[in-house]
Amino acid sequence: MGAIDELFMLPPYATRPGEHRGLLRAAVREAIQFHCANCGPFDRWYRKQGLDPDAEIEDLARVPYLPVSVFKRLSLESVPEVEVVRVLWSSATSSQTPSRVVLDRTTRDRQMRTLAVIMSAMMGSMRRPFVVLDAAAAQGDDLELSARVAGLRGYLMMASETHYALEARDGGIDLDAAKLEELFRKLSARRTPVCLIGYTYMLYQYVVAPLIRGGRRLQLPPGSTVIHFGGWKRLEQQAVDRARLNSEVEQVFAMDEPCIRDVYGFTEQLGLIYPDDGNGVRLAPIYSEVVVRDPVTLESLPDGMPGLLEFITPLPHSYPGIALVLDDMGRIVSRDRGENGRFGTRFEVLGRARGSEIRGCGDTLPEQIYQVKEVAQVQA
Amino acid sequence: MKIYVLFDGDGRHINPGGDPETCPVETSPDRLVKELREGQERLRAASVEDLLGLCDAAGRAWTQPGNEVARMVGSLAIGFLPLWLRRSNLEPLIALALRGDRGAIDGFVPQAPASQRLHRAQPRGLLVHWVAGNVPLLGMISVIQGLLTKNANLVKVSQQNAGVLPYFLSALAEVTFRRPDGEEISGKLLTDAVRAIYTDREDAAGAALSVLADMRVAWGGREAVEAIMNLPRRFGTEDIVFGPKTSFVVVGAEKLSGEPEARKAAMLVARDAVALGQRGCNSPHTVFVERGGALTPEAFAALLGEEMGRASRQVPPDVSPQESFRIMGWRAEYDIKGEAWYSEGVRWSVFYSDEDRGLATPCYGRTLFVRPVDNIFDVTALCSVNTQTAGLALGDRRLKLAEALTARGVERCPEVGRMSLYEAPWDGMYPMDRMVRWVSA
Repeated sequence: MGAIDELFMLPPYATRPGEHRGLLRAAVREAIQFHCANCGPFDRWYRKQGLDPDAEIEDLARVPYLPVSVFKRLSLESVPEVEVVRVLWSSATSSQTPSRVVLDRTTRDRQMRTLAVIMSAMMGSMRRPFVVLDAAAAQGDDLELSARVAGLRGYLMMASETHYALEARDGGIDLDAAKLEELFRKLSARRTPVCLIGYTYMLYQYVVAPLIRGGRRLQLPPGSTVIHFGGWKRLEQQAVDRARLNSEVEQVFAMDEPCIRDVYGFTEQLGLIYPDDGNGVRLAPIYSEVVVRDPVTLESLPDGMPGLLEFITPLPHSYPGIALVLDDMGRIVSRDRGENGRFGTRFEVLGRARGSEIRGCGDTLPEQIYQVKEVAQVQA
Repeated sequence: MKIYVLFDGDGRHINPGGDPETCPVETSPDRLVKELREGQERLRAASVEDLLGLCDAAGRAWTQPGNEVARMVGSLAIGFLPLWLRRSNLEPLIALALRGDRGAIDGFVPQAPASQRLHRAQPRGLLVHWVAGNVPLLGMISVIQGLLTKNANLVKVSQQNAGVLPYFLSALAEVTFRRPDGEEISGKLLTDAVRAIYTDREDAAGAALSVLADMRVAWGGREAVEAIMNLPRRFGTEDIVFGPKTSFVVVGAEKLSGEPEARKAAMLVARDAVALGQRGCNSPHTVFVERGGALTPEAFAALLGEEMGRASRQVPPDVSPQESFRIMGWRAEYDIKGEAWYSEGVRWSVFYSDEDRGLATPCYGRTLFVRPVDNIFDVTALCSVNTQTAGLALGDRRLKLAEALTARGVERCPEVGRMSLYEAPWDGMYPMDRMVRWVSA
């Protein structure tokens, strides 16, 4: 068994300080060797960094990294086309071009197992009813809705049954609070904990805000969890931060022990998710490491300093998404402190990297200005 | 209405890096405009020689070792500003704008040396400037031209770099100039005809200022400039618009006959790219290199990388995290599909691919895209009114290419190394000519 397989057989969180790091380094090295051998462009890029794929890795922060946007720009594949079982497209939030990554069975299996064990560590291994904070996507429904529901698909493998809290109606989406209350009443009677899950802005805009406006408070079955993901950009525009969201979720959902988790993750390393502890702090599982880089020097920063987030994992087999820098800012909170018996790197996501300042007369022009026109032959 | 006053008769109310929203607030522009009109009367009564003398004194002082303003000039990488303020630069600029006789701004002068007809340049009145924050010296460049043409100047600065213009205005107020007759005059003669303010884009002040303006001077990106142009204005109010444009370099095969000559051209291109933080409309982003020289375009790109390294050494990069991320993307792409030369960190980057054509979308952060062309005249087809400066590294073909490029809309074709200099004409006009009314007697 190779180092990668060995790594993914382990439970998700270290129980002793640093116990997994040697194995993670070995697994990342094995992944680099694999991708250099099977993805020509990646091999070319890696060798241009002046490094030997066979060299031992002493420090994960020294592993060459690609910006995640490279998957918007280039097709990078490490398996033959015949082995591709699925193509993933990212949501293209910061540009109009989506990322494209191909999945083979190996990658997909690793994704599913990783997601399952991290979810189990978060809310227990027992399958439970999931209440999706969205409308069900019927065949032929609008694309945005379908894409949102597709983004949930991985999580739903933990569901014993799936319910949709919202209803698509007249081109909009509505909450039927009475129907939801009835569902919770039935599930409470069975003493079955539920998982409410959905995009952060959907949770607030279509569930929490209407319930507050209506002055309603719904009782959740004991042991229930609220999971949301997708980022805060839309809620920031409404001046809703984590504290307010959590407070208002507790206001509208009566929970014995409030468990509200904001999950961070991204398409190019799907399967690896980083739930927070309710206060925005996340723990990297043993399958990955987080590095924070100075946006100007690109060096890894000391703990506590904000910079660009980078994630290193040997998970992707069908594409070389091993060490990826994101355009999200974050900072490392602590290492191997062992809170709740779990060791590893704890970090915070601080939001999307600040955009460029106003460029005035030097600002970019509409894209068509830069497009190549038919070159006129002008005689010199 | 909320008008934050950043600079007035009491001096500046903001530090160079300060927040404009901490400055004193006026709820109407009335006081500022009244003071400006009074300041303008004193300006009109002065001789243009005195005004030039004050600017020259500022330019001299701001290059003196140990001078505090000189340090600020250095830290902002706007060494061009004190040189631009020197009499030797401004005299020909104003003469060019005023039909060859700068005295026309002081009184009636003959239209031609032997002409009986007299003409003179009258100030427009109140110029309202909207200045973008991309290049910190823009505000001063705009205001000084308004002052030399004896106008009152109300400057609305952008939130970014809001404190820079007030800093230089207060430094200008402290300058003194001794006239040939021994009388000493103060820089306040100039600055009493300037007020710097900040208002939120949505604030009603924008429309009020626009209606007061005899001339609107707008520097900015497309959205900002369009918003200003859509503000109400009085009949007869004129506009000077310096909107968004992009710039490039053309290197001819004749400059690639050997490494020394090619390196010299590369050094000049690098100087242009590093100046103004590559944020000016006159900053190059694409470098077209002609095939057929002893050095290939790719070899030139490699030399350019070395020269970018040298030119970038003195000034730290001004790169936002988002720009840094974008630069990383280009680096990865060109490492894979072409060639890339770059610094540790994001101090500078040069990219090349044999397949690339056309103008590159600017990446900023001292990033240059070198693109091969079979013939320098092929570049002409890429030009329009959106292309501003073409820095040329050419031999005898320079004027011929300049003819072809400017016919397509390019505004300036200086030699490489001079792209970042603010000169006249600019964006198709002599700005000071536009800031006056020509009258006759």
